[in-house]
Amino acid sequence: MARYGFVLWTAARQQLAYRAELAMRAIQMVLFMGVFIALWTTAFGASGQAELEGYRLAEMVWYLAMTETITLSSSRVFIEISEAVKAGNLAYTLTRPLSYPFFQVANSLGNSIPRFALNLLTAVAVVGLGMGWLPVLSPSVPSASLRTSSLGMNSAEGAGSLRGLLAFLWMAALALLLDSLIAVLIGLLAFWIEEVTPVFWIYQKLLFTVGGLFLPLEMFPDWLRRVAGWLPFQFITYVPARAFVAFEPGFVLRAMAGQIAYVVMFSALVVFVWRRAQRRLVVHGG
Amino acid sequence: MTKQEHNEQMKTVRLVWGYLRHNLMSAMAYRGAFFLQVAGMLLNDAMLLFFWWVLFNRLPTLQGWDLAGVMTLYGIVAFGFGAATVVCGNAFLVARVITSGDLDYYLALPADPLVHLLVSRMSLPGWGDLLFGLVVFLVAAPDRWVSLPLFLLLGLLAGVILVGFSVLVGSLAFWVGNADQLAAQAINALVTFGLYPVEIFPGVVRVLLYTLIPAAFVGSIPAGLLSDFDWGRLAALVAFTAGIALAARWVFRWGLRRYESGNLVMVRG
Repeated sequence: MARYGFVLWTAARQQLAYRAELAMRAIQMVLFMGVFIALWTTAFGASGQAELEGYRLAEMVWYLAMTETITLSSSRVFIEISEAVKAGNLAYTLTRPLSYPFFQVANSLGNSIPRFALNLLTAVAVVGLGMGWLPVLSPSVPSASLRTSSLGMNSAEGAGSLRGLLAFLWMAALALLLDSLIAVLIGLLAFWIEEVTPVFWIYQKLLFTVGGLFLPLEMFPDWLRRVAGWLPFQFITYVPARAFVAFEPGFVLRAMAGQIAYVVMFSALVVFVWRRAQRRLVVHGG
Repeated sequence: MTKQEHNEQMKTVRLVWGYLRHNLMSAMAYRGAFFLQVAGMLLNDAMLLFFWWVLFNRLPTLQGWDLAGVMTLYGIVAFGFGAATVVCGNAFLVARVITSGDLDYYLALPADPLVHLLVSRMSLPGWGDLLFGLVVFLVAAPDRWVSLPLFLLLGLLAGVILVGFSVLVGSLAFWVGNADQLAAQAINALVTFGLYPVEIFPGVVRVLLYTLIPAAFVGSIPAGLLSDFDWGRLAALVAFTAGIALAARWVFRWGLRRYESGNLVMVRG
């Protein structure tokens, strides 16, 4: 485990070395959040309602800030893996005292963490300026002023409660782990198909849609919401963001159990696929 | 037009056509990967419409736009984006080509360096965007067959604007060195904003979308012309397109005068 921790730490430090590139990524967040604030302000205005499916305007925008924070920090490790498979560089990694796919999971998480921190700060700054600060982020507002969420559960705390933020951070960590496992699986597909990028696009768009990146699952038609509820994608984007805007212990526990179940399932799948892949690997002298 | 100018133009047309043919043939060598990328992009684009489908289930209209209107907007932007990246596959990589010193290759040959640089690569997923744009328009537009020629024209104009804008921001690399990321973000902003009706943005942002990041000319204006045609607005759009294309050509040439070779030595097959 310590070895994987070291890989993660090294990858994170590598990211910090390219500060200009990190800053450029922050621009993307500013752009997206600017579009969302404009779009939803118009949409709420057009609907003439204060709430859409339990979300007020500020909650909707904070929800999107959190889903974007996770998605913009998500793994691109499939590129490195598929290139290594195609170029045959994989042979060198076999002699290392680490399992290659889990080495890549640690590598991916190390890449994601600094980006996650920066994206979160940028999103909070943009949305805070555009929509007003949240209780947890503004010390001048006493915590007693936390209003009950409008999402229909009396026990829920409103957007930006301290517990909501902590739950979000935990769930985002599990979400990024799940995401990196899926990215490794996509990368390993290079053993069977020539080009894996289209598979990644589809995965990414599944996050956009049934994962709840652009819209909370509550907005979906009922049948689609039921389908999305069983899929792994909502555990990456929807559930952490939802916990942030409406903290509710029951929801958080159920959702985290779901995240862990999918992490275990995808880890097993990675082990299985890697075994099959090794059988297809032909190492020539070189 | 003098005879020499005419010959020059014919040469450029042959160059573009030759590259298109050649690139398509080389893509066909890996047919499986090609079709996977095209189909993947089609599906990818279709899923982007999901958001609007759900939203318009809740709201009938948004600032005068409905689902069919937004689908037409997507159709034009996707068709233009596809056409731009299929024909001018290097359009989004101009800054990288300049900073890496790869420009030397194009300068040493008799063809127009900008045109040659742009067309020498073909984006394969771009075919998926092109196809998606066409299909989504045919599905959404009420008088699809009558307005198809106008759609094709507007899509091509959007493509020219995308290429022109990309060359403009890519040419920044002549002056500021490593402009690769900056250019990529500017192009990204153009496409992102282009996919939203311009009316949803507040006044200040809207001004930006008609000027600095001309996203309105790529999406909202042509989509508006399809639902409510007007010769004056079409003329303005054509004039803007010609203007940005000429500006791109001029700025690239101006930058080229400052260009110092990267002294990159390599062999190209």
